Amino acid sequence: MTTPMTTPMTEPVYHPAFDGNGFDPARAEGAGLADTRRHMWTAVRLGWQVESNWTDPLLFFIYTVAKPVASLLLLVFMVQIVGGTGAAGEAVRTFVVLGSALWAMLMAGIAGPAWSVLDDRERYRMLKYLYVSPATFLLVLVGRGVSKLAVGAMGTVIALLFAVVVLGLRVDLAAVNWPMLVLTLLLGLPPILALGIGLAAICLQTRQESWSYPEAFAGALFLVSGVVFPLSILPAPVQVIGLINPVTWWVAGVRGAILPTGASSIGGASSLWTTLTGTQVPDGAMTIAVLLLTGAVSTLAATALFRVSERRARERGLLDLTTGS
Amino acid sequence: MTADVTATLPPAISVAGLRRVYPVKPKPVTALDGIDLEVAPGEFFGLLGPNGAGKTTLIKILTTLLLPSAGKASIFGFDVATEAAKIRRIMNMVAGGEQSGYGILTVREQLWMFSQFYGLGSREGWRRVDELLDAVGLGDQRLQRVSTLSTGQRQKMNMARGLLNDPWILFLDEPTLGLDVSAARAVREMVLAWKGAVPGRTVLLTTHYMAEADELCERIAIVDHGKILAIGTPAELKRRVQRESVLRLEVNRLDGGPAVLAKLPGVVSAALAADNVEAGTEAQRVAVNLVLRDDNALTGVMAALGAAGSRVLGLRTSEPTLEDVFVELVGRGFADEADAEAANAGADHDHSHPTEDAER
Amino acid sequence: MSTLFPTRETTADPRTDADWTGRRAFETNLRALVGRAYPRVRGMGREPSWVFFEILLPFLGTSAFVLVYRALQAPEAYVGFVVLGGAMSAFWLNVVWMMAGQLYWEKSQGNLELYFAAPMSLMAVLLGMAVGGLIMSGTRALAILLISTAIFGVQFHLTDWALAIPVFLLTMAALYGLGMMLASLFLLWGREAFHLTNLAIEPVYFISGLNFPVARLGALGAVAIATVPLAVGLDAMRQLAFPGMQGLEGTPPPQTEALILTAMTVVFLVASQRLIRTIERMARSRGSLSIRWQ
Ligand SMILES: Nc1ncnc2c1ncn2[C@@H]1O[C@H](COP(=O)(O)OP(=O)(O)OP(=O)(O)O)[C@@H](O)[C@H]1O
Ligand SMILES: [Mg+2]
Repeated sequence: MTTPMTTPMTEPVYHPAFDGNGFDPARAEGAGLADTRRHMWTAVRLGWQVESNWTDPLLFFIYTVAKPVASLLLLVFMVQIVGGTGAAGEAVRTFVVLGSALWAMLMAGIAGPAWSVLDDRERYRMLKYLYVSPATFLLVLVGRGVSKLAVGAMGTVIALLFAVVVLGLRVDLAAVNWPMLVLTLLLGLPPILALGIGLAAICLQTRQESWSYPEAFAGALFLVSGVVFPLSILPAPVQVIGLINPVTWWVAGVRGAILPTGASSIGGASSLWTTLTGTQVPDGAMTIAVLLLTGAVSTLAATALFRVSERRARERGLLDLTTGS
Repeated sequence: MTADVTATLPPAISVAGLRRVYPVKPKPVTALDGIDLEVAPGEFFGLLGPNGAGKTTLIKILTTLLLPSAGKASIFGFDVATEAAKIRRIMNMVAGGEQSGYGILTVREQLWMFSQFYGLGSREGWRRVDELLDAVGLGDQRLQRVSTLSTGQRQKMNMARGLLNDPWILFLDEPTLGLDVSAARAVREMVLAWKGAVPGRTVLLTTHYMAEADELCERIAIVDHGKILAIGTPAELKRRVQRESVLRLEVNRLDGGPAVLAKLPGVVSAALAADNVEAGTEAQRVAVNLVLRDDNALTGVMAALGAAGSRVLGLRTSEPTLEDVFVELVGRGFADEADAEAANAGADHDHSHPTEDAER
Repeated sequence: MSTLFPTRETTADPRTDADWTGRRAFETNLRALVGRAYPRVRGMGREPSWVFFEILLPFLGTSAFVLVYRALQAPEAYVGFVVLGGAMSAFWLNVVWMMAGQLYWEKSQGNLELYFAAPMSLMAVLLGMAVGGLIMSGTRALAILLISTAIFGVQFHLTDWALAIPVFLLTMAALYGLGMMLASLFLLWGREAFHLTNLAIEPVYFISGLNFPVARLGALGAVAIATVPLAVGLDAMRQLAFPGMQGLEGTPPPQTEALILTAMTVVFLVASQRLIRTIERMARSRGSLSIRWQ
């Protein structure tokens, strides 16, 4: 050749970023619990960033306020319109307000992991990388759910404030059973996340238009959770579903803690609960016990469902699928 | 007949003083910096250039997806800025690694959908799709979901999409990116066959595979930093880099040695090849490396050899490859870029996997 | 001439081929519309899970609202209002989830560039998305309507079909027209739009009176009638399906609401066409038609 090659590409290029400590087999094993905690934390932080990263505080505010408050109004108006006046109307309204405000949190918690699957797979095409990263996929999703839950909890608080200030909801702070409130609130979180993980497992299998699935699922759950009307209205077989549904117990527990004298969504005349147990309404200890039990069962079931879905997704190569239509 | 048809047409591509600046932060990027170019109807034209040279930007402007910042560009006489609608009826484009379409559809359905966008009749669309699927060798995958195709299969499907409307001008942006040797060849052959079927069909290709450009393109422009560095047929470009031609001459005897040849007009140098089996000019076979100012000097050399009674046993040219041309013209670019890279290493990788930073 | 490659008929001159009659351009747009609707309709049959998630679950959700009224011993008429609202919400959800964010999604998939580079108008693509979505959600709405009617024994008293059919079609036109406009707007706004779609559900349900006559919202209801297609459409349909029912008074008659819907449709369609032009101009000058750039 008459033209000398002057490119330095043939010489080995050194860059400090290539420095490493060589292969360390221990890294392949992970460091157990500490690692898990770290990954979980990372996932929560990441989820938080994703949730709040559209930075406009106004938008964020509207998102956390408008949605829960509008759901609340939608229901309160229904009560209001059909003669919800007087003491009875007042009681119903309080019942509905508390249930509906809690719903904001639940909606956020169950939608979080599912949307995270859809978002990462279809929009960012990152799911496969997330999946092969050392962080446990499940934990990452749980983390996203937790951060969503936190946003949803703000919505719940804001909806309650709105109810107090605008709708004249009266809560006697002295009468609130605070320990019970904190306990039931916390115990409700694992089953809510479990439902979210279950939905994520489904969305792992379905197509891009599954965005509305969590919403639809929550809508149906509404029917069997005693959120805005007592379970006793439902036909007995449907009441069974209500009773084994941890959300029912969560809502009932929280509501009972805030309004110890208010109506229960679970027991009452002609309810399945009363027929089965002979008691009018479950007491606090019972509520917590059943919440724990149903919560544990649903968490296990969701984990199992997720594992099955994950395996099937790997078998069929669904992890890097894009399925738009 | 071929000549008549295309001779009356306006240039397939005509570009004058084209500039394109992307108004991005922190400072605007000048992707095209004064391009002048004319591509005749029926030409197979190639664009070569290092990463970031502005090739895709030029293609986007020509395919009406991007407006020029300054200058003019037209396709078959239609201005890219003001007559986009007309251009869109007679062109198509295929990019390497393209992920377009809807995963839920089968290959056949997906292509049919596109055929409808290009205005083919419904029935005609199905027929054309099947025809093209056979032509690109995807017949077996026609009922498979798009989301399950391999990279190569996907690219064949994209090629089929690009040919659905039989464009007058086809823009190919690295169409063989990520394809295996035979798939890449299949794509090349397909494009050639398609182009050859009707006179006047024009192709603009960008690629990083020099051999591909060499094989396909009638003319090539080498661009870097938004400017055309050189333009011509592959042979012209090679000659441009190496004005002298290098020859290896083998004769049965050479009285007086290579010095005799070196004195001839147009001969830059003549020397015994290093691999001569038996040294000395009395050998049965003598190999000489000749460097000529241009090919015309060869006539004189031949005449001199004949007069001296030497019989020519072999004559070979050793021409530079397109890669040599590329390296010669833009090679130093690599060095520049390596420096720049080292300067801001790690500064612009935040668009990678979001967990990455958080992980470590 | 070589017959090596399968080839369509073209003239000998690209200039002739580029010179389309208005009729040909129109036909192409019509075909593009059908082409874009096609994947949506195909998709329905291909992933049967939607029957569960988009028919059964929403039906249960609607039932929850019915039971709220039953628990409150409300007049039976309100059950009918809820069922109609539940059916109509299918269209709204479809607009929100499958129209509003769609162009943005197409952009991130790399489809948008091809759409722009093809000879049809992007309006045709948007209309195709709308028609495809309408077929999907129409199935869902009909299913919810039929199942709920059967289970809760709702009695419709629809007599004025001659008005009901145009009102329904106009409602769809206005809803999907809004969807097309949102799709263009959200393309301009980018990813934040996804959160905005979230915002567009409950608040819109509330001011549209999804579960109660919008008239009961008073002044807010009047504003909704004038601005939100779901509100007007739903109210007009309720007036036609339950004529003279107590609780519905206080809003304009369905004829007037039909006019409002017509006006909305025109406004939305014109706005989305304008927006698309703006988008194209902006995208072409900024270079933002695609996200991935090779
Ligand atoms: N949308 C955009 N916004 C800002 N800058 C851009 C955009 N697109 C391209 N550029 C910049 O313009 C320059 C030319 O890019 P272009 O994609 O045209 O290069 P290319 O020759 O196609 O490179 P490659 O061989 O890597 O594909 C690059 O510096 C690139 O970073
Ligand atoms: Mg490029």
